[in-house]
Amino acid sequence: MFDVRGLVKSYGPVRAVDGVSFAVARGELFGLLGPNGAGKTTIMSMLSGLLPPDEGRILFDGIDLASKPLAVKAALGIVPQDPALYETLTARENLNFWGGLYGLSGSALRSSVDRVLELIGLADRARDPVKTYSGGMKRRLNLALGLVHAPRAVLMDEPTVGIDPQGRLNVLDAVRRVAASGTTVIYTTHYLDEAETLCDRIAIMDHGKILAEGTLEELKRRVGGRDVITVRGAPDLSPLLPRIDAMPGVTVASAEAGKLVVAVDGSGRGAVELLSAVLSSGLAIDGISIQPPSLSTLFLNLTGRELRD
Amino acid sequence: MRLLLHLVAKDLRRKARAPFAFVAALSFPILFAGMIALAFGGGGKLPKVRLLVANLDEGVVGSAVVSAFGSPRTAGMFETTRVTEAEGRERMERGRASAFLTIPKGFTRDLLDGRPVTLRLVRNPSEGILPEIAAQTAGGLADLLEGARRVLSAPLLRLRPYLEDGIDSAPADADVVAIALEATHAIGGASSLIFPPVITLRSELFGGTEPAAEDKGGTGSQIFLLVLPGVAVYALFLVAENAMRDVLTERTLGTLRRQLAGPLTPGTYIVAKALYTCVLATAAIAVVSLVGWTVLTRPVSLPGFVLVSMALVLAVAGTAAAIYGLAGSERAGATLAGAIFLAMGFLGGGFFRIESLPPGIRSVAPFTPLYWGTQGYRALLEHGATLSGVARYAGVLIAMGVALLGVGMAALHRSARAGTAA
Repeated sequence: MFDVRGLVKSYGPVRAVDGVSFAVARGELFGLLGPNGAGKTTIMSMLSGLLPPDEGRILFDGIDLASKPLAVKAALGIVPQDPALYETLTARENLNFWGGLYGLSGSALRSSVDRVLELIGLADRARDPVKTYSGGMKRRLNLALGLVHAPRAVLMDEPTVGIDPQGRLNVLDAVRRVAASGTTVIYTTHYLDEAETLCDRIAIMDHGKILAEGTLEELKRRVGGRDVITVRGAPDLSPLLPRIDAMPGVTVASAEAGKLVVAVDGSGRGAVELLSAVLSSGLAIDGISIQPPSLSTLFLNLTGRELRD
Repeated sequence: MRLLLHLVAKDLRRKARAPFAFVAALSFPILFAGMIALAFGGGGKLPKVRLLVANLDEGVVGSAVVSAFGSPRTAGMFETTRVTEAEGRERMERGRASAFLTIPKGFTRDLLDGRPVTLRLVRNPSEGILPEIAAQTAGGLADLLEGARRVLSAPLLRLRPYLEDGIDSAPADADVVAIALEATHAIGGASSLIFPPVITLRSELFGGTEPAAEDKGGTGSQIFLLVLPGVAVYALFLVAENAMRDVLTERTLGTLRRQLAGPLTPGTYIVAKALYTCVLATAAIAVVSLVGWTVLTRPVSLPGFVLVSMALVLAVAGTAAAIYGLAGSERAGATLAGAIFLAMGFLGGGFFRIESLPPGIRSVAPFTPLYWGTQGYRALLEHGATLSGVARYAGVLIAMGVALLGVGMAALHRSARAGTAA
């Protein structure tokens, strides 16, 4: 459905998106995972036709977005990162407006509005002004506005940022239901768990580039069985670094006050050596945790640093 | 077209849910003009000037001055109270009068002798315009007495003994005849100057014609009429500014970006916003006109009114579009609009009648759309102008409106695109 080739976008000297290519099949839930500033939102802006790429092209169902932007836009739904709502209007009035903007009217509009209100669980508050909603409710309505016209594909740009845990679960549940209905979804996030639990395929991004792409299992295989060991303790763990650097199959990912993150081969030898070194160092250690291969360890391996929330 | 109406309907619904700015802008001209009319017109009648008079003169001229404030021509304006000097001062200190007139002792005698005399008038500054009316009337009276003294100097000298002794002392019949003859001669000599007067003053309104009709409301509605057009046009700019600001408000809300990510071009969006501005401005004109019509109850050329109004709507929408198109942010636009509209209000005759402004400012006024709108409405209201009579005003407004709207929409288009790309 989406065929993205060689996208480049620069802001002055900064190359925000640097030669990104990917393809998304119909009905797929495709995740773009990366830290803030990785270029995810810039890609979404280009996919939604708001931002022309400096280079590259975007095909949607074979239609070039640059040549027929309105045709492509009419088939897309947009869920921006920050809720874009009319707060003085009710949820139903908001939905009526956005549905009407995409050409819906009469009974088709009414049934569509009812459908998405049920989907996001706001049917009972549909006649209240949006300004009376909680942050989580606004997020859910924000999602609904991108779905009201039953688009063929939805672009969701970090729709759970800044939301409470319960609201996040509600939004994620709604996203799953949308994907289950056969709608193609491109979903950006910097939450590893969201990418792992939601997405059919994931592209890991950093510094404007896609570093790895595939299903969750494919990506885990790429990690090659490397565990991530996190050591927490003394404010200054730097005396350990020379010894760790000398260990085969062990890589220091990050070292900061009171915390040391290390990637080790999954054979077990590296882990044992590391733990021995830590325990014999005489430094005060509060705790040691070992994570099995995951997207987190993959990101660590690919970038040499952790992906933080 | 369906899409345009859909966008305008959404904006009108939003405005209906948060109408404060619109209502405040509309209330401004009505309250402003109403308060001015009440302050200076008393809602139809001027409040009487409460004048205290201490007549220390024993002669007839002093009595004549007092009587002048109670004459049929001035009785409706003055409520005169005779007091002693002490009473007058005491009442003035308590703020119980508009002004206090003292006719000095020997006023009649000194006047007849040609010696300088002084009528002393103390004004109460808290009474607004009322003490000024007393001062103007007393000044006119002084001029009149001076003129009479000069023309009738000879017969008055003959009358002097009787005048000094008061009006109870009547002259002998022979003296009456002699004085009458002398007065007749004096007046005859001056008749070529005063019957008919060589100099006449014709007072008329700017534009060369008299008011179209009398109002039922009297002075208050006249003042309302003088003030309303200027402040109403000014308020219309505020309404348009508030409507057009919505482009930048939506940019901040993120709803502009979201709309342009849908099947909507920036051009359609901006046209819809201009249309929304015009609808709001038209509604504002309708409301203010209804209030004006209720108060003024004077016939106005409907085609002329519609023409000026529609041209003005175009001009205010264009001005607001140009301001917000050139402003980088919502706050910058609001500040710029406030400054420009205030300047236009003063320079274009929104707050003061253009005739009362210095020539330098008057020469600048025609460069503002506010001037043409105000003058157009004044022509309709004050001079009974018809469609052809206001065509010039409407033409200039339309030309200004088209030019400003063109510049504004192009700039807003660019701003909308830039805002969504951010």
